[in-house]
Parts: sequence; C-alpha cells; structure tokens
Amino acid sequence: MKLRTVSRRSIFVGVGATLAAGILLGAAIVASGVYNVAASVEHFRVTNLVLEFALRRSVDFHSRDVVVPDGLDDPDMVRLGARHFASGCAICHEAPGGSRLPVTGGMYPPPPPLDDAAAKWEDRHLSWIVRHGLKFTGMPQWPGEGRDDEVWPLVAFLNALPDMSPADYRQAASLQPAERPGEASVDCRSCHGDASRPPVSDLVPPLHGQSEAYLLRALAEYAEDRRQSGMMEPIAAGLSSETAATLAREFAAAPRPPVRLYGEAADPSSLARGEEIARLGLRERNVAACLSCHSGTRSPHYPRLEGLSEAYIRQQLTLFRDGKRQASSHGRLMTAIAKRLEDDELADVAAFLASAEAYGGPADTSASR
Amino acid sequence: MKQGTRIPALAKLLPFGTLAGCAGMQSALQPTGAEASDIGTLFWTVTGISVLTFLLVLAFMAGALKGSPGLRRRISDQRTIVACGIVLPVFVLSGLLTYGLLVMEAGSTRTASAEGPGITIVGKRWWWRVVYETPDGREVVSANELRLPVGRPVAIRLETEDVIHSFWAPQLGGKLDMIPGRTNVLTVEATEAGISRAQCAEYCGGAHAMMAMFVVALPPDEYDAWLAAEAQPAASPVSALAAKGEAIFAEYGCGACHTVRGSAAAGIVGPDLTHVGARHSLAAATLANDRDAFVRWIAQNQHIKPGNLMPPFDMLTPEELAALGAYLDGLE
Repeated sequence: MKLRTVSRRSIFVGVGATLAAGILLGAAIVASGVYNVAASVEHFRVTNLVLEFALRRSVDFHSRDVVVPDGLDDPDMVRLGARHFASGCAICHEAPGGSRLPVTGGMYPPPPPLDDAAAKWEDRHLSWIVRHGLKFTGMPQWPGEGRDDEVWPLVAFLNALPDMSPADYRQAASLQPAERPGEASVDCRSCHGDASRPPVSDLVPPLHGQSEAYLLRALAEYAEDRRQSGMMEPIAAGLSSETAATLAREFAAAPRPPVRLYGEAADPSSLARGEEIARLGLRERNVAACLSCHSGTRSPHYPRLEGLSEAYIRQQLTLFRDGKRQASSHGRLMTAIAKRLEDDELADVAAFLASAEAYGGPADTSASR
Repeated sequence: MKQGTRIPALAKLLPFGTLAGCAGMQSALQPTGAEASDIGTLFWTVTGISVLTFLLVLAFMAGALKGSPGLRRRISDQRTIVACGIVLPVFVLSGLLTYGLLVMEAGSTRTASAEGPGITIVGKRWWWRVVYETPDGREVVSANELRLPVGRPVAIRLETEDVIHSFWAPQLGGKLDMIPGRTNVLTVEATEAGISRAQCAEYCGGAHAMMAMFVVALPPDEYDAWLAAEAQPAASPVSALAAKGEAIFAEYGCGACHTVRGSAAAGIVGPDLTHVGARHSLAAATLANDRDAFVRWIAQNQHIKPGNLMPPFDMLTPEELAALGAYLDGLE
C-alpha cells in the first residue's frame, strides 16, 4: 500500500477546522442554556478536582509575599478572632457547638466548617483568603480597605480552633448565656466591654468615658468609609443616626476605666523615652507633644487615651504613620505627626501612653491578665 | 521682588534694564548696612575696572584692524605686549585680590567690635527661629523676622536643625551658610533705619523659595524698647472674640508645637507666637500679617506652602477660625 503524502497545508486546515468546530460546539452549549448553574446540582467530580486544584494554586501563588507576624498563639489574638468569628463569620461557617445552618448551608459550594482549615492551609494562605475572599464562592473580601493587620486575629483563631471544645469557644468569644454560638450580637459591650468587664482584646479600645463628640465622629467615619476597619465598618454602617447618638451619649456618660497594666510592666528606659516625646515632643524631628492634645480639657473631638492598651495605641499610630487613616481631617492631622516617628519611638510612646504615669492616676493592677 | 516682575519685556534685554530688577528691598545694590556698603563698593570697583579693560581691548582691536601702519607696528611691538599683556594684568588683578581680601578682613575686624548681645538664627524647614540675647543675658525667642539696631555691629550666629540653609540679607551683608552641626558667625551693622528682606539662599527643599523674612533696622533706642517689649509675655486678649480664640488655641492643642509665653502653650517644634501679631509677615514672609491670613494659613497651609511641617486644621469651623485669627492677630 502506498502512503499518501500529506501536505503541510492540509494539516493546518485540518487542525484549524477541528479547533473551530470545538469552539462552535462550546459556544452552542453555553448559548443553549443546557448547562445547569443551579446551586442544587453538584459539579462533576472532575470539575471539582480542577476547581480545587486551581484554587489551591492561585491562593499559594498570590499569598507568596505575605509576611506572617509573631504572636499568633497569643490568647488575646485568639479571643478577638473568636469574637469576630462569632458575630461576622459564623453566619455562614458553622461554629463549634452550633446548629446546622439551613440557609447558607444551601449555598454551592457550601461554606465549609473551618475545624480543619489550619490543617489544610498555611497561615499566609488563611490570611490571604480572609483578606481577599474567593470568587464565585460567596466568600467576600475583608471590608476594611488596606487593613491587612485586622485578619491576623482570625488566623490565630483558626489555628486554635481544632483544639477547642464548644465550651472553650464560648469562653474565647465571650459569648453571653443568651447568645447562640453562631449568632453573637453586635452589642458594643460584647467587644468593647463596660465598667464591669474589660474589652475582649487589647486591640479593642474601651469606649466608656470616651468623649461623646469623638465617639460620634468615629462612628460616622466608619459608616462613611472614611476610617477603615473590617470589624467596625459593617457595624457602624448599620446604625441609624439616632442609635449612634444614643450609644455615644451613654458610653460618654459612663466612668472611664482605670488604666490597666498589661502583664509585665514595660522597660523603664523605654517608658522614659516615651514620656519625653509625650510631654515635650521631639524638636529635632518636629514631633508634637502627644499630651498637649490628649490630656486635660482638650477639644472633645480629640480622643482620650487613658485606658487604651499599648497594643492598640501602637497599632493605631502605625496605621496613621502608614497613611491608612488619611481620609478625614483629624486623621490627616495625626498622620502628619505619626509619620515623623521611628519604629522604636513609636513603641516607646505607646508604652508610656498606656501607662498610668501619663495621666497621673493610679494603675489598676488587679485587671492585668 | 515686586518691581522685578513688572519690568517691561524689552527692558530685560538690556543690561541696565536687568539691573533695575535688582532694585527694591532685597537688593544688594542698595546697601543699608556697613558690610553691604563695603561689598557694594567692591562690586562697583571691579565692574568699573572690567569695563575699562574691555574698552581698552576694543580700542586695541580697532587699531590693529583699521589703524595706520605705524600704529599697527606700535601695537605689535614686543614692549607693548609685555606692558599691556603681562605687567598691567599683574598689577590690576593683584590690586583687586588685595582689595577683596581687605573687604573680607573688614568683616572679621567688625566681628571683634560686635561686643553687645548677639542674635542666633536657626534655619528650619522652612522658617527661621530667631533668638535674641538681652543685655542682662536672657534669651528671647522669636521667629521669622529680624530686628537690628542701627549703628551697632551685631554678631549673628547662624545654625540649622535640619538641612543646609543660607542666610542672605542683601541690603545688609553677604550670604553665609547655615550648616548642620556648626555655628557660623556673621557680623552685620545696619547703617540706616528701614525694612529690607532676607531670603534663604541655599536650596533646602520644596518650599525653599518661601523661606524669607523681613529685616527691620530700628534706631538704637527704639530697638532697645522693642526688645524689652518682645521679652514680655503675651498680651491678654482684648475682645470677646479673641478670648474665644485663646480658648480654642488651647483646646486644639496648638501649644503642642507653638509657644505663647504667659500661657500654657510651650511647644518647641514650631515658631514662637508670643508676639506674632506684631510681625510684618506670616509663615516666613509668605503671607501678609492680618486676621484673614491667619485663618487661611491655619486651614489651608498645605496649599499655601506645600510640604511645610504644620498639619492643616481644616476641621475647624469658620467661626472657630475667625476667633483664632482675632486672638493671634492681637498677640502684638
């Protein structure tokens, strides 16, 4: 038998025709509407395998530059993560000891329980997913623009979750007896504490005794997307102006919490350097003295700092310095000052401002933990 | 400065039209100080000799090209070349060098005569801290305006707390750099009363051009009276509006950066405002000094002088700003 010689031209025509037929067939299937997008119908097994592989690769690739901070095993971080999980995430992801979620359980893909998340993903993966969300899954991105720092308490919580009993979880998330595991209320006191209990974490400021004008301004800035926080923005946006006014008035009328000492007292030389900046400023680098605005009978629009933790003051100063709070006039005012602080000065001044010496009041050592 | 911008375009093409641009309160050609006079005389002497030399060269060229054969021979003679090409330059240039060195010396001999209390000027981005020493040895901190007694040589210590600046008050003397980590001393003596202008003469960042100040030369007795008044604490507000402004000044923490002596405001970062209302300008000769200028500066200083270190206080209401303006304008 004689083999026919196939010309190069006919190979091109053949391949091209096959491709075109394939594309036409695909387009015809899409256009016909035969493919079922219903959440009630599961993917083919192969589709699931391909999607899962693509998702893992994508998360791994895009989280390659994420820097994991220290201290993710800090119980304080875990508590904040647990509390936020209870009020923000457990509406979709089943909480320990929680019941079946009839509505969101019907999503496809269903939001998975997260007990094994820490086993399946590395810290950088988890933080990236919480920060950026996942397309076509219902997992939203973090609502606080630029607040990469805010997702770490959730990573800390997810790491601790596999070892948590439902009771551990209730305790970590400070759930009140009336609150169900997956439906924590967004009552301010549950996170910010009140006269009888401290805030859920050092990264959460106590609100009682804060100035009313400041509280109103903070709520308005969160609600109008002028101050970024994935935790506070959704809550503030849901408040009516009457409710916000009432809350601000009530919190302002409550007595300010005593300054607490957190764990071991800070290094005395750090406190001394911080005191100099807070009281006198730093002339050579044009840093204004903190206490000129943040003590005594200053403008009600300036927040009172007594009772705030070192971690919170340091976090907010860092946000100011990195330009993440520049969308308001007051934010720009603090940004201009915070930008002039070096890392160690920022830490020193936070240590001092969180200490009782800054305000001349006695420390409440009983509340330290 | 102002006159400079108003010269007709044609005049700018002419060399003497350009000199007209140097007229006014920041002109080295209108000296009102002893040092500037010496420098002015040196300048005109050098300019005169240069013009004469230029004319002499032109004359020789004309002779060499168009002159009679006899003249051309004399020009090309060996002795003419030695006399005009070697001997004359040696004498003229050596003379000018000596004269120049003597003028520089004159500054240092006057330094020895500046025995009275001195003044320290510290360059900042972009303003001047001016610290006067009183006869009894106290320091009086002020800013953005230099006052001098007429007929009394004053040693001015020039320092900086950030980058290199250069202090230049053209009507009073030459310029001298402010260099981090050292103190340069410039001695000036105002010879007539009046207001001139000083300018930072070394590029020091974005708003360098807006780092200037007025220099006010006063008769000695007026100067002494002024310094005694400047050493006093701030005046109390006289109107209800100004009193409200004083309260707002304290409430918004202005004292974190600014000092108003006699009040709780004792900041060390920004200019001393104890007698700010009495100065001839605001923000280092950037704005006039009136209530309106204070209001504009407080709320919009980043538009007026971009990159300056004061944060804008645009959260204040127009009423609050007006009260602050009234208070600060009243600090005379």
